[in-house]
Order: sequence, then structure tokens, then C-alpha cells
Amino acid sequence: MVREKGEFQIRWKTDLPYKWAIGKLAVKYFEELKKRRIMGSKCPKCGKRHMPPRGVCADCFVEMTVDDMVEFSRKGTLKGFTVVNYPFVDPNTGAMRPFPYGYVICQLDGADTYLMHFCDETDHTKFKIGQRVEAVFCDELPKDHNSYRPELKGDIYDIPFIRLLKDEEV
Amino acid sequence: MPKHDVAVVGIGQTKFRSKRRDVNIPEMIYEAVRMALDDANLEIKDIDALLIGNMDHFEGINFSELWTGIDACGFYLKPIVKIATGGTTGSSLGICGYYNIASGIYDKVLVVGWEKLNEGGATTGIITAFDPVWERPSLAGALGPLALMANIYASKYGVERSMKAAADVVVKNRSNAANNEFAHLQMPNITTDFVMSSQMISYPLRLHDCCPQSEGACAMIYANENEAKKITDNPAWFKGVSTAHYYTFGCDDIMYNLPTATIASKHIYKKVGIKDPVKDLDVAEIYEPTSWSELAWCEALGFCDFGQYAKLLDDGVTQMGGELPVNPSGGVLSTNPIGATALVRFAEAAIQIMGRGGKRQVPDAEVAMGMGFGGSLWTELCILGKDPKPLR
Amino acid sequence: MDKVAIVGVAQTKYEAEKIDQTYMELTFEVVKKLHNQLGITNDDVGSVITGSNDFNDGRTIANMAVQDGVGSVRKSESRVSGDSAFAYVYAAMRVLSGEYDTVLVVSHSKCSDGDQFLINNSIFDPFYQRHLGLDQISAAGLMANMYMSKYGITEEQAAKVVAKNRKNALMNPFAHLQKEISVDDVLKSPMLAYPLKELDFPPFSDGAVAMLLTNEKNAKKFTDNPVWLKGYGSCTDAYYFGHRTMTDLIALELASKEAYKMAGITDPIKQLDVCEISENFSTHELMIYEGLGFCGKGEGGKFMDSGETQMSGNIPVNPSGGILSTNVAMANGLIRIAEIALQLMGKAEKRQVADAKTGLVYGMNGICSQGNCVLIFGGD
Repeated sequence: MVREKGEFQIRWKTDLPYKWAIGKLAVKYFEELKKRRIMGSKCPKCGKRHMPPRGVCADCFVEMTVDDMVEFSRKGTLKGFTVVNYPFVDPNTGAMRPFPYGYVICQLDGADTYLMHFCDETDHTKFKIGQRVEAVFCDELPKDHNSYRPELKGDIYDIPFIRLLKDEEV
Repeated sequence: MPKHDVAVVGIGQTKFRSKRRDVNIPEMIYEAVRMALDDANLEIKDIDALLIGNMDHFEGINFSELWTGIDACGFYLKPIVKIATGGTTGSSLGICGYYNIASGIYDKVLVVGWEKLNEGGATTGIITAFDPVWERPSLAGALGPLALMANIYASKYGVERSMKAAADVVVKNRSNAANNEFAHLQMPNITTDFVMSSQMISYPLRLHDCCPQSEGACAMIYANENEAKKITDNPAWFKGVSTAHYYTFGCDDIMYNLPTATIASKHIYKKVGIKDPVKDLDVAEIYEPTSWSELAWCEALGFCDFGQYAKLLDDGVTQMGGELPVNPSGGVLSTNPIGATALVRFAEAAIQIMGRGGKRQVPDAEVAMGMGFGGSLWTELCILGKDPKPLR
Repeated sequence: MDKVAIVGVAQTKYEAEKIDQTYMELTFEVVKKLHNQLGITNDDVGSVITGSNDFNDGRTIANMAVQDGVGSVRKSESRVSGDSAFAYVYAAMRVLSGEYDTVLVVSHSKCSDGDQFLINNSIFDPFYQRHLGLDQISAAGLMANMYMSKYGITEEQAAKVVAKNRKNALMNPFAHLQKEISVDDVLKSPMLAYPLKELDFPPFSDGAVAMLLTNEKNAKKFTDNPVWLKGYGSCTDAYYFGHRTMTDLIALELASKEAYKMAGITDPIKQLDVCEISENFSTHELMIYEGLGFCGKGEGGKFMDSGETQMSGNIPVNPSGGILSTNVAMANGLIRIAEIALQLMGKAEKRQVADAKTGLVYGMNGICSQGNCVLIFGGD
């Protein structure tokens, strides 16, 4: 707790620590992620394939379990994009999040819902809705890249961002 | 028809500004409460219950209603309840007040929405609304998803056309705000070029396409049909309210065209007997956090076909003097104290019905709509009029 | 007042840490249980009211996390931030307005997720009180000290409350702490905030609770034993601790008078069959007896000694084990209502109070009974 007195204001800073349960399906998601498999959950009643995996199909109000998990491709289609260009404090780190950064909605092949994630492109003229994209694993990056890690650990940093596929790669 | 009719009999607002360093939280809220009480010629002892709300994380005070309800609103030894639902806080408060009266449990209630946004971090707070594993790491507050949605809209209906329409919305709303003494950003001489040359905040949103962060409070006093006539001969009556919520995960559906607005508006139009909103409504106060949102939300509310709001705007239908003026108060683009914003929409709709809009008054306004938006893209609506009956 | 009924309730087993479940899955478990119990689907629910708190969940707009789990997609849902007894009241208002036939009320909390002391410290204003490090423990210590000094209440009398509630919890399959403790155990436990010791305070629990409300017209479709709302009163005490009457719960007194008047209760001990109250620490329950008019001012200790609030007494208080056995933060008020509903439906099994026809619920908001909600329920 840091407290400074201003002329008309009292300043206050507190760390409020939390730990949230991620649920059984997320636990399985991260285990499989280590093996390069991106998994979502499929509703046993309506068949809707959800990304990210979660324990309830909201439309049917039916439970989904670890047994209902299905694999999606790491490739997908770009549905929307923006380039975030303003400063703010990241509540996960307490520090300013670096900007600009690309921020996209994409639909992985096989999924019925969408995924929001970082993108390494920061020039908005280079995006085109409908183009093909791919999830990038941290160990595939060049060794001097900020997000490079030598192996997959089964956490969110395993896929640091989505990459726009060039025409010749499609 | 509900068990009791609900009337708005008193309204108070603070002059919304970026930073109110001259007052602390209770003092700021008191300004709006005092104004509402004076407006209705009532005292705290005459009012049965208080409904108050803000977003706790933005000011960093847990259970803030236990402090503000007593110190700012004077409800010592009386009922206090807090409703807090993000961007829709104000409209959820407005709707809860409706049910407090409609149920017959209370005869008169005070509804207060407030926020002192610049005392905390709004964007940081908004990020914590989302899932810690799947959404927070990349989420950029409220503007990031709104930019994504604007972009999808642009790609569907034409980038150039949409950008110009969005800039025209800013010009309309911020010059409308110059007629509203409470509005935060009043820009009577703003031009489309000025908006379109401002810095790109998150493609395609430019700086002036985005709402500000304001500090202030809004208070409304509701009464049932028996009490209302003792207080004023010019109340605004609730004809109906509706709410529609959606999935937890923001990306379970591509929501650039706000499906919840379509669901909530269909529901309320049926209840109130509205066949053609542009013809049947006289004025609409909608919740547009960005100028692009007004394009998509008005289409979702059925004011025109999808992709056609630009034409409605060009034809002057939603300008002051048009068939359905949208946001004569300046809207959210001009004033955004998050906990109060949606309640201000309800208050401004009531002000139009009561004929107290001064320079922003829409002549002969008899049916007005107020809208709240927030959360994982939820919509809340109210329709106010000169009597509580449906139109047909 | 028109009639509004509770026609079904469902609770999760309360535990120290529900580490496997997200908020969505936790609320889904209890809502699905309720649907199955009543033989309904999501389409039969008109509207949903939830009770949660942002600081407790560590999420702004905490109700956003549970939308899928409570079945409010494409429906109307609203959230009362605070104790869920107030969420019940809002839901009842929606039914009484005539605009909804059925309203679902759901509340959840996971005390294991956050630092409960920091969360409660954040309730205090940052100008005069927060930097004193006040939280629910030290505030309770202050209140207990002033109350016990003024009226000569003993630590033994306070400890009897704990022993009673912890023993009652053994009969409640949902309760978190299921271990009997003696008055001696309480007196020997480490001092946390004089004069209150560790066992004078509740545990921290995770869980969720849900119930369905409906109007007179539809009640019998769901159950033969609907539980009707008979009386309601709400009152808020001062915020600054220096402004509060620390020795008497005056706001509770006013709230209960309002509720009794509405329900036609002139002699609480005779006319009430069972009570579920929100006792946040041992002496709190003694103060609540006085606030509810069960005994005179300062006689809470003597009333405990009399045994009237034991299961065998004239007015059993907290057959479920109360908050001293299960403390689910925001869900506490709704759990009290669920327990009374089970009593009046005759479904309380081992903890059933015989012939329970009228029950009282006390839900509390904030620190040491600042917000108070008293509800009277009747089984016919």
C-alpha cells in the first residue's frame, strides 16, 4: 500500500490478489496444447463447437465435459481486426501494456464460435477480412523474438499471437 | 399493464466534466440528488427507498452504496440497494426503480447513477470484466472490441461511406450537446473534417469517434399513479421497459449488429404497440459509446434496414428537426460517466416528454425511447410518454 | 400485498474451495439442479436476478461471468450487488408487478478466490477509515467489545452460539463445516480481535444457491407447498463507525418492525416457528436476538442461556448451522431464504423444525449489519 497526499486528493495503490478456477475443460485444453492440439468443446445436444471450451452450452443449457472436447485446426479465417493504439494499464501486470498491437477475431477451422487474440501485424492496411490466418506456437518463432520459448509449457503464452498467412502460403 | 403505473416526477444531473477535483464522491452525488429533490419539491423523508449504482472497481471502493447512500443521499435508517451491471448500470437502475414502484412495494423511490471515472482506471477496470484466461490477456478495454465491431461493419457496408457517416454522427451529437448545459463535450462548431483528421485510436476508430470519460451523477425520482399527481402535473410515464442479455464470452457471436438490441426492441415495441419506430417514436436517446455504434445500434433497433443508417442520417431523419431526432442531449459521445450514462439516457427521454429540454427540446415530444448498453453486449430499453398506456 | 411464492430451491454442497469449477459452471450446477427438480427448462423462466459482488469475484460486472450458467442468454437478467436477500426482494418485485410469471434468483460466491481481509478493508472509505486496516474481523471485535462491556455479556454466552450452530450443521448435508465443537473449544481458540477468538468467526466457503419465484396463479403447477412472502422490511445504519450505535442493531430493529407489521406479527416468539439469520460472528447473533425483539436490550446473552433458540426451544435459530458453519459471502442471504423455504415446505429432513408454518430470514449487507433486510415467510 502506497499512500501519497496530494493537495485535493489522496492516492492509493493496492495489490488485490485473486486466484480463479479455470475449470476441468481448460485444464485439458492446456494439457493438449503442449502436444500442439487446440481443443474446444462440442455440445452433445446441438453439436455447436465452442472455442474456447467451457462447461455449459448456453443455447441448450446442457453440460459439456472433458469427453465432449474436439480438436480444431490451428489455421482459420480472419473475421475482424483492429490495431490498438492507445495507452492503458494492464490489470494482469500492473504496468502499461505496450502498443500499438494488432487485435483480431478469427474463426479456427472446425469451430462455430470465434476467438479474440493478438496479431503480430500492426499496419491496418495489411489486413483483409476473410483472409487465412494461423495460430503461432512460441517454439516456432525465431530465437531472438520477444515471445520465443524453447518448448511448449501448457499455458497461454504457448500461442502468443495469430499470424496473417501470405497468399502463397494458403 | 403492470400493477402500478410508474411516473418520473423529479430529475437532477451534475454538470458533467472530465475531472471534478473540487468535490469528493458524496459531495458530487449530492448535487444531483439535491437538484432532483428540489425539482419534485420533496425531502428525503418523503421517499421510500434508494437505488444507487456505480462500478466499484473504477473508484476502488467496495460496497460504495453503503457510503454514498448515507453521506450523499441522506438515506440513514432507510432502504438502500445497489444495482451494478457495467455500462447498463444506469438503465438497470432505471428499470429496477420501475419494478420497485410497479410491484407496489414502494410508492416513491430515488434512483441515482454516478461515476468518478478519473479517480480510477476505467479501461483497466473494464478489462477485469472479462475472462481471466481466454479474454483478458489481449483485451483492450471497451474500445478494442468496439473497434473490431466497427471494422466488420465497415467491411460489410463500405469503408469510406461508413467512416463519413460515423464522423457525421460525431458532428450531430457533439453540436447537439452545445444545447445541453449538463453535457461534458460541447462542440458547436465541430466539422466532419476535424473528426476525420483526428488520431487513429484503434482502426477504424479515431480519437473523436470515441466517448470521453466523465465524472458526474444523475438522479431521478419515481412515483406511482397516486403519488405522482400530488407531486407534479407534468410527469413522464413509463410505457414499458425491456432487457436482453447474451453469452458470457464476447466472441461467441460476431455482434457488430447488436443482436440484443433487436431482441429487446422487438419485445418492447410489441408491449407498447409500436409498429414503425421512426414514425411512432418522437425522440430517441440511444447509448452510442462510439460514433460507429450509433450506425449499427439504430439499425438493430429497427430505425432502418441494416447498412442504411448513413442514408437516414444524410436525409436528416435523425438530426434535430428530423422525423426522429437521435440524441438531442449529445448522447454518450458527449458525456460518459459510466455508472450514470444509461440513467442519463432515461432522464433525457423524460426531460423531452416533460417539455423541459430548452434549446434541445424536440417539439411536441410524446413518445421517447431511452437505451442502455454494456457488458457482453447487452441492451436495455425504456419507452416514456405522456401517459402510461400502450400506443395501440 | 399480492402473493409471490418460492416454489423450488437448490443448493450446492458448500466447501472451502471449489477448485474444479468456474463461476459459470458453479451457477449452472445449481440452476440445472433446480430445473430438474421442478421439471422445467430455460424456456419456463421469465427473467433472472443474480446476486454477486465485483470485489469478491475479482471481476468488474461479476454477473457477466455467469450468463451462460444461469440461462439468461437472450433474456432479461439484472444483478443486485450485495447480499442476495436483496436480490430475492428485487425478483419478488418483478413477479408482483405482474410482468413476469416466473423469476429465477441465483447467487454465488467463492471466498477462496480472493483475499477476504483486503476485500472487506476496501469497503472502508479511503479518507478516514481504510488506512486503519479495518476489516470485518477488527470491526467485529470493536462491536463485540462495546456490546459486551455495556451489557455484561460473557464470552461463554457468545461461545454457546457457536456450539449451537456448529452442532446444527451436522444435520445439514450442504453445510461446509461439519464438526461439532464445544464452548471450551471456542474459548481456547486463538484471539483474533479482542474479545473475539478464531472460532467466534465463520469460515470462508464456496458455493451457489438458486430458487424459482412465481405468482399465485402458477404456484401450484410447481409444488404443493409454495412458500409465500408475508412481510419485508429494510433499513440501513450509518456508514462511519463513529456514527454507529455499536451496542445495538438499531437499523435491524426498524427493519424487523416494518416486516412484523406487514406480516401481522405482534409476538415474534409465539408466532415465528423458525429463523435463519445472518450471524457474522458469535456475539452478533446475541445482538440480533435483541434487534429482532426476541428479548429486551442487553438480554441477548440471557436469551441464549435460556435455550429457546436451540432446536428444542420455542424459536430455533439457524437449524442450517448458519454463517458460522457456512460463509458464502454474497450468497448468505439467499441461503437463509432457501433454508427457511425448505423448513416451510417440510423438506428440511434431519434439521426440520416440526410444524414449521412461519419463518423469518435476516440478510445483512456490509460490515457488522450496516444494511439489513428482514423477510417473513409463510407456508400457507
